[in-house]
Amino acid sequence: MTIFGMPDTMFIVFVATLLAGSLGAMHYLTVHVLLGKPVNDTTQDRSGSDVVRDRAADGGQTDGGR
Amino acid sequence: MADVNPFYLGTFIVYLLIVLAIGVWGYTKTTDVMDFWAFGQNMGPWLATWSFVANFVSAVSVIGFIGAVYGEGYALMTHTIFGLMLGTSALYFAVDRVRNLDLLTFPDIIADVTGYDAARPIAGTVLLGNGWLYLVMQLVGASLLVTAITGVPYEYMVWVIGIVFIAYTVLGGLISVAWTDFLQGTVMVAAVLLALGFMLFDLGGFTSINQQFGALDSSYVNPTAGGAYTALGIVATIVAFFGTIFTEQNNIVRIAATKDVRTAKLHLAASGVILSVFYSALVILGGATTVALDAGGLSIETQDGAFPTLITEYVPDEVGIILILAVMSAILSTTDTRLHSTGITTARDIYSYFRPESGDDSQLKVSRLATIVFGITATAAAVNPPGTIIELYNFRAVLLTSAFLLPVYMGLYWAGLSGKAILASIVTGAILGVGTELTGGLFGVPSTFIGVGSALLVLLLGSVLLSGSEPKGGAMAGD
Repeated sequence: MTIFGMPDTMFIVFVATLLAGSLGAMHYLTVHVLLGKPVNDTTQDRSGSDVVRDRAADGGQTDGGR
Repeated sequence: MADVNPFYLGTFIVYLLIVLAIGVWGYTKTTDVMDFWAFGQNMGPWLATWSFVANFVSAVSVIGFIGAVYGEGYALMTHTIFGLMLGTSALYFAVDRVRNLDLLTFPDIIADVTGYDAARPIAGTVLLGNGWLYLVMQLVGASLLVTAITGVPYEYMVWVIGIVFIAYTVLGGLISVAWTDFLQGTVMVAAVLLALGFMLFDLGGFTSINQQFGALDSSYVNPTAGGAYTALGIVATIVAFFGTIFTEQNNIVRIAATKDVRTAKLHLAASGVILSVFYSALVILGGATTVALDAGGLSIETQDGAFPTLITEYVPDEVGIILILAVMSAILSTTDTRLHSTGITTARDIYSYFRPESGDDSQLKVSRLATIVFGITATAAAVNPPGTIIELYNFRAVLLTSAFLLPVYMGLYWAGLSGKAILASIVTGAILGVGTELTGGLFGVPSTFIGVGSALLVLLLGSVLLSGSEPKGGAMAGD
């Protein structure tokens, strides 16, 4: 059996690859857009000061800041 | 020497001038080292997405993948592209953990999960070597292609391309790289889709291409290339490419550059969709290329010559220009990102470890200097690349996945895991993974399985024997 001129097993690999690449988008759309669940963002808790920038710039050596 | 094609050469020159102009503009926007390294950690979803896509698609993707389809058919989808796409989506699910660490580089993360700061220069050196080799291969691919298309001799073309991308990367760092990536990513995807549209029209449609492709050799449209790939071999390749998505320095730097976790998640979600559509189109374009070259009686010396031959011998000049833009975009966007990574790895992971008192200005200077040095040495190596570089390049996926995938990411999620166990696991995975790859496997077991399996074993044993023996950084409280 062929689909679009290729064997159905080959067609399934194409579909599986498209699905594999779209897993993140499907999750984001369902969980964060449709259900409205917020993303797990703890960097925002540290914003408003230079802690974020300092941590990124010094390799995480924040002298116990976390 | 081939005749110089003024039409194609003109397009190429205009293209280089545009990316140079973006580089100069990026320089005016770069005020400190964080701008140069990580876009000031203020990259939005559009820029992050297209920058990821453009960096992802390289000379290997365009020239190599179309050549691979020419040589063995659509099986490339099964063993390589599926793994890459699955890896991109899987990173989406782990990216909040990575972004919340708020660290810049992959060695930073390794140091954080192990609790050993010395892991930064050690891992940085490994990644630097890997990045430099990748750079050389990209330059070789770019120059061979542009030489074939424009007719300008290779030894001149490699320096022209090398100097242009060094210039704009040094000028604006990730600001230049991201904006040129944005341009290159959109051009590349649009051009490949347009080219596929032309080939669909030219060869009678999607079904007709697949039928003609299968008629040349039925294994071309078989998921295992007619049994050439075993199930074990396919799974091992999927795992190896899956792992590279998690362990490449440039992907981690991109995540750190996003302005927040939402952007980090969104850019991977969107990139996964764009890339899976792009690669599906590219693989079909590979099938169409094979059919077209066969129908036109056009022979090629090596399979990597398939796409350049399609451009120069088969399609009209108008379509050829579109394809050149796609290929140049793919190559330069990956090359600049890898070059940028060598700068940040040298300054951030190695120099700042040995000179912890160094200020932002000094680290910015080291980043720019390293970018120039590694860029020029890579260009010089690309003029006459030794064969060993090509051979070493093949170990890249095995090395990165075997050494880093399980130890680092299990360290992120397993709060009580010993730092020493993680380090021992990294070393074991690297040695056994690369060792078995060099010796051609062990009892028929693919090297990726040996590397990843041994890393897991050492990690589990180490966690039992060394638990509570020393502090570690790692897992985020409250996640």
